Parts: sequence; C-alpha cells; structure tokens
Amino acid sequence: MSLTAEPLAAAGPVVDAPDLVVEHLTVRFGGLVAVDDVSLQARGGVITGLIGPNGAGKTTTFNACTGLNSPTAGTVHLGPRKLDGHSSAWRARLGLGRTFQRMELFDTMTVAENIGLGREALVAGRRRWTGRLFATPAEGTLCHDAAARAMEHCGIPHLAGSTVGDLSTGQRRLVELARAMAGGFRFLLLDEPSSGLDVSETELFAGILNGLVEREGIGILLVEHDMALVRAVCSYIYVLDFGRLIYEGSAADVLSAEIVKAAYLGSEAAEVH
Amino acid sequence: MKTYLPFIVAGLTNGSIYGMAAVGLVLTYKTSGIFNFAHGAQAALAAYLMFEFRERVGMPWPLAGLLSLLLAGVVAGLILERGAYLLASASVAARVTATVGLLVFIQGVLIAIFGSASLPIKAFLPQKLVKLPGVNVRGEQIIIVALVLVAVGGLYLFFTRAKLGLATQAVVDDPALLGLAGTSPTAVRRFAWLVGSCFAAASGMLLAPTLALDARLLTLLVFFAFGAAAVGAFSSLPLTYLGGIGIGIGAALVTKVVGEHGWQGPVQSLPVNLPFIVLFVALLVTPTRKLVERGSQVVRRPLAPLTFSRRTNLVGGAAGLAVAVVVPHVVGAKLPIYITALAYVILFASLGLLVRTSGQVSLCHIAFAAVGASTAARAVGAGFPWPLAVLVAGLMAVPIGALLAIPAIRLSGVYLAIATFGFGLVMQRLFYASMFMFGGTFAIRSPRPKLGGLHTNTDVGYYYVVLGVAVACLALVVLVRRSRMGRLLRAFADAPTAVDAHGTNTNELKVLVFSLSAFMAGIAGALIGPITGTAAAASGVDVGGFDFSVSLLLITVLFVAGRQPVLSAVVGSVLLVVIPSYATGETAQKWNPIIFGSLAILAAIVGGRSLVEWLRSSRRLRERAAEGSPVRARAAVPELSLEGAR
Repeated sequence: MSLTAEPLAAAGPVVDAPDLVVEHLTVRFGGLVAVDDVSLQARGGVITGLIGPNGAGKTTTFNACTGLNSPTAGTVHLGPRKLDGHSSAWRARLGLGRTFQRMELFDTMTVAENIGLGREALVAGRRRWTGRLFATPAEGTLCHDAAARAMEHCGIPHLAGSTVGDLSTGQRRLVELARAMAGGFRFLLLDEPSSGLDVSETELFAGILNGLVEREGIGILLVEHDMALVRAVCSYIYVLDFGRLIYEGSAADVLSAEIVKAAYLGSEAAEVH
Repeated sequence: MKTYLPFIVAGLTNGSIYGMAAVGLVLTYKTSGIFNFAHGAQAALAAYLMFEFRERVGMPWPLAGLLSLLLAGVVAGLILERGAYLLASASVAARVTATVGLLVFIQGVLIAIFGSASLPIKAFLPQKLVKLPGVNVRGEQIIIVALVLVAVGGLYLFFTRAKLGLATQAVVDDPALLGLAGTSPTAVRRFAWLVGSCFAAASGMLLAPTLALDARLLTLLVFFAFGAAAVGAFSSLPLTYLGGIGIGIGAALVTKVVGEHGWQGPVQSLPVNLPFIVLFVALLVTPTRKLVERGSQVVRRPLAPLTFSRRTNLVGGAAGLAVAVVVPHVVGAKLPIYITALAYVILFASLGLLVRTSGQVSLCHIAFAAVGASTAARAVGAGFPWPLAVLVAGLMAVPIGALLAIPAIRLSGVYLAIATFGFGLVMQRLFYASMFMFGGTFAIRSPRPKLGGLHTNTDVGYYYVVLGVAVACLALVVLVRRSRMGRLLRAFADAPTAVDAHGTNTNELKVLVFSLSAFMAGIAGALIGPITGTAAAASGVDVGGFDFSVSLLLITVLFVAGRQPVLSAVVGSVLLVVIPSYATGETAQKWNPIIFGSLAILAAIVGGRSLVEWLRSSRRLRERAAEGSPVRARAAVPELSLEGAR
C-alpha cells in the first residue's frame, strides 16, 4: 500500500479535466526496446488517438501510464500530479482509468455488478479498515446510481441482469466502457475498444465516446485500429512504429501522411486504394 | 575432504536422478502449460511395475525395466498428452486440480494393490566397488550418473539442433503459428510428454533400489524435482539438471554435517527438506518476469456458478440444519464420524473461500488446521477456557496464512500452487514435530470443553458444540461473499488486473482472504482434536489426521463437490468423511483416493464445474463456439476499416 497522501476524491461530474502528459518514456524488456523515448500530451476534454501497427508499443505505453510495467526512463503526469512509482490502484484513485484490449471483465458476475464494481473498487480503495470490507448504505446507493447512469449512457440497461460471460463481444466492449465510466475517472485510456465490433456497432460506439467527453468533460487517450472510429472521434493523433513516435497531427493530416501509410497501413492499404 | 567424498558421490548419484526427473517435468510444462504434480507418482508407478515384473513374475531385469518404461513412460505419456490437450483452456485451479487428482489416483491405486508398507526391492545395477582416487564408488553410481548425463545431454543437443526440438520450444508460445509453419503442434506435444514421462519412469526405477519401494516416499522424493525445476525457473533445461545435481549433493552434505554434530530435533529432517526450501526460496527470489505462466493466455471464460432463489436457499438451509440437529439421535455409534464431518464442513468452506471465491489455489490447507489443532490443545493445557482456546487457534493460523500471501503477491496461478505445496510439506516435516505444535510424539492431548452445566464433553454434547461453530462459519462465508469484500474477491478471481485498475489494491485482498481462510481452517483444526481427545499429526481423514496428503484430497473433493459456497462444503464433507465411513474395514481408506482422484480429473476436464453445472452450461458453450472469435478476425484486417472511413 502506498504511504503517499491519498489523492483527492473525484466523485460526481468532473469539473477539472487534467491532461495526461508522457515525457521521454522508454520501456525495455531485457534487450528489447518496446517503447523508445516517446513523449505525448493528451488534453483533457478531448479524445486523442494513439495508433500504430501491432507491436508498435501502444499497449506498453498504456501499461506504463497505469503502472502495470516499470519504465526504464521517462515520466508520466496526470495534471500536476506525477504518477511514476505509484501502484496501479493509486493511479486509479487519482482519477486515471482504463480498459483492456483483451477485456478484463468479471465474467461470472452480472452486467450491473460489473459496472457497479467500477465505482465500488474505487470507493473501497479510498476507505480504511472495515470500509474496505463492508459498504455503507450510502455507498451502495452511490455505486448503484453511478452504474445506472453509465448503463443508460451506453444503452445497455436492458442487459443489467445478464451474466457478462454470456454476452457478445460488442456488448462486452460496452460493459467495459460503462464500468470505466462508472468509476468517475478524470482521464480514460481505452485500449482498442472497437476491436470485435461490426461497422454499425462501431458507429454507435463513436457516438457514445463523443457523448461521454461532452457530458463529463474528461480526456480520453484512445488506442485503436479502426480508422473509422479514429476519424470520427479523435481531435489529435499520435502514430507509433517500432516503439518510436513517427508522426503526430490532426486526424486528416495523419490519415493522408505518406510515412503513416508506409509504416502502419503497409502494402495492403495500397491495394485498397 | 576425504570424509566428504563418499557423500558427494552419493549426492551426485541421487542428484542426477532428481535432475532427470526435473528435466522431464519442465519439458512437459513448457510444451503444454500443464504442470504435472503427478510426475512423482508416475515415477513410483514405474518402480512398482518393475518390481512386479521382475520379482513377482520373474522376468530378467532389462526386460522388466523396458516393459515398465513402455507402460509408465510411453503409454502413460500418450494418455497424458491427450489429457493435457483437453485441459489446455481450463482455469489454473482446474489444471492444478487435475494433476493433483492424478497424483492422488496413482498413489491410491499403488497402495490398494501393494499396500502402504514399504517393500524391500533388489538392486539391479552392478554393486561392485570401483576404486577411484580417494573414494570407492559403486558401479551402479557410475552407471546412473553417466546414463542421466547422456539422456539429458542428448535432449539438450536435440533441442538446439533438430527441427522438432526447436519447434518444441515454440509450441507454447504460439501453437497456431507453428501449425502454419508446417509442424504439427500435436506431434511436438506428444514428443514432449513421451520424453517427460519416460524420464519420470526411469528416475523412479533408478531411485527405488537405493530406498525402498514405498508409494508415498517415492512420490515425494521425485518432488525433489520441484526444487530443481525452480532453480531453472521452470524453463531452462540445463539449469534444471544442474539444480538437481546441486540439491542432491547439498542434501548429502547436510546429512553428513548434521550427523557429525549429532544435532537433534527438526534440523535432522533438513536434508530431506532441502529441495522444498530451495523451491520456496527460488520462488521468492526469482524475478517475476522470468516466471512466465505457460499456456495461461488461452483460458476460456469462466461461467457463473449455479445460483438458487432466495427461497430455495432458505428452505434448503433450514432442511439441512434440521437434518443436522436430528443426526445424533439416529446414527448411533457413528456419531464421532459426523463430528469430524462438521469440522470438515468448516475446512471445505474455508478452502472454497480461497479457491472458489477468490480463484487462488492452496495445496497446504491442512497445515492451517494443524496449527489450529495444536494451538488449541496447548492453550487448553495452559488453562485457557475452551472457547477462547479455539479462538486463539484460529488467530494463530492467521499470521501463517498471511505469510503465505507473500508468495501469493509475487506469484500467480500455478506457481502459487507449487509454493503452497512446498509450504505444506515444509510445515509438516520441519514444524509438526516441534514443541510449538504436536511435539516429538506427533500427538497432543486435546480435551473436550466443559461449558457451564451442559454435557458438552459427551459425544452428543460435543456434536452440538461443533454444529454451532460450523453454522457460524458458514454464515460468515455467506456474509463475506455478500459483502464488499466478497464482491471484490469474486471480481479478483475473474480479472485481477481490472480490480487494480479500478482503485483497489489486490495485494491487500490476497492477504485478507488468505488470513480469513487460514483462520477458519485453524478453527476447524481446533475442533478435530477433541473428537478423539488427541490432536495427532497422523495421516488419514478418518482418524482426524493432518498429513499434507489430506490437503490434496481436500482440493480434489472440493472440485467434485461443485461451486456453491455452502452446499459444496456440505457435499464435500459428506463425500470425503461420511460416505466412506459406511464402507467396511480398510476398503474406504483404499478407495477414497482412487475415486476422488479420478473424479477430480473428470471435473477439471469438464471445466472445473460439477457435473450438473457442466450439463447446464454445455448449451451456452455451443452458442459461444458458434459466435466464433471476431476479435482476432477483426484485428487482422485493419485495411477494411480504413475503407469504411472514406
């Protein structure tokens, strides 16, 4: 457990929208340099894209931001707070939430329980002693309401009683997003949230993401393969290849940049043209 | 130096055998992701087969050896490969339980056929002494060391040179890719299990003549391989082999030193426990990133356990309680069995909390109960009132449970299971005999309570005392599961990373659940001793023993009993304690491990569910299979989505 002072509570709608700032991040696994001197700034209140081919270091960057790996060098800030060296749970309590490429869902539990836990795990983490083990009625209501709002926003209240393990991939993606929403985070990292979704589901998803940013005013950093989604939601895009930042710019710039086509889309993209 | 040489030679010989067994273990683990806890049992099987063929049927030893190798190595290897394939996508708990079940099963069969007493076995390799500078060496020792060196060296060369060897290394990393490259992953896996099983069988046959033919001892001795495998981080074959040699020599030298100084007490058992200590330390100091969990990337989604309506729960609970209240008046002289059963309900409930609710495997649960049993007995002896003594017994188990949470924080899945396994053995072999626990006689007086004017020291009276505690413990489990902690634990079992990512530190959760589970197991232990009036470190469930093998039986039975927190505890206890008591004589003792071992394997293969749950869920699984895997299909074709963007 961290001995550092507990971060401020972030209950209710977010008033301040901190930026996520990564500076000179390097992550090595043995001899392999997975992320090499990457700096990026994802602003609060907007959606920033992080794209690149498989193995470019996107998820590794995410993991460094959320404390799942130990960077060799570099710093990560959320607003004014430096995150380096703190546990994953501490960063979450500070307001940094995330979803996972492989969807880390509570498969044996219902949709409502999953999403409620999005808030309850945060509340429990902030409490001491018995507060970690038992919920007060007020907290129960708080988690229930947060879950209800998130389900409403994601259009899945009808699934509340379903077991998550039984859902389709598209529904599971929405459950994971709703769970992160219910957490009331101030900044969200979304790791390929649309993979496994069909075109109409992706459109729906884009609408939900835009609505989330508008309503809650939070910032999102989005790792994504689906260019339709990236175009639809991202105001600014960073491109990674072999662990290095090779390009950054607005959505239109990035999608037409030759270097991005060459690195990311490869020869197959040429055939599509 | 000269006085040490014979010990070094003996250590080198045994170490070579451990090394070979360990290399076989690592090979199968690396290629299939299944850590074979039954590896030692397989070695014992080979040794018994050879004994049977050679000394009872009368075959010459080379033929007997070859035949045993064929059965316990080749045939068993092929069967195990199929089993490993079926388990590939099962949960960690299911994978561990399946091979633990196999261990229990093989050991049970051997004991049922050959008896549990050790049998003398004739050496088959030449015993002639060869004079080397400074030391006399038996021909057998030279042959064993050379044979193992050739076998392990040959395997190593094969790995680094041959195509199938290289492919073996790739198979766990990405079986699909290997299939695309034209090498069948099945062929590779089959090869690995063949070699691994033959190494196990050979080590059993080589080891038996230097000891005696004893199913428990042989199974345990090839667990020496665990320590060696840990030295190689469950990955490097040469390091594993060297680890075996090191452990062999180390154990021999410690024997020498302990003997020389005439040290008494638990330290005498240090040599035989060295590998477990090596195992435990290696697991604690090896960098976590080197302990890659094999095969865990393909785990299928777990299904929710069966749940019942509130009404069913209430009616069922009330009916169960009514039956429990009536029991003393209908079972007659069998009553002590039912008291044991109630204590086991608590034990199963506490194990279920750990394994089923939080998804962590403990293979040392009986050690917590042993701590509780001995503590309660000593506390009552020291004049504590009985209820307080039981409470203290539970509390005493808590720091032990919390201690085990340390490896649990570092390690996950199968490595935690291995660590708990080693921990249980070390507890029994180093501490059971200590004055803090059962003492040198392995037994300690444990009186029944005298509570007020009640006759709680009679069978019937004590039954109701234990019933009360059991009901309280089950209520505690229900309460915990419904509380915030229970929700977080269930969430942790499904997706630990997500719990951390949402703000709750999962390390604290692990310490909590291990402590709580140990507390309840300690209470259960405290209740077991007074049934016979003596808390004893004997083996066997029926006599209220605390042998580590009971831990293995517990987890196999829990898997057969299902996943409902309360019901599975009751069912498990009825299966393990009550039903066998109605079989006559020794039969139950014989059949218990055989039945539960095989059922646990079955239960693990059908998905870690009880059979009822499996039947219900097979429909859902089929639906899911029809849905296919859109995630992979989508990620592979990003260009299509680009087109959609235009």
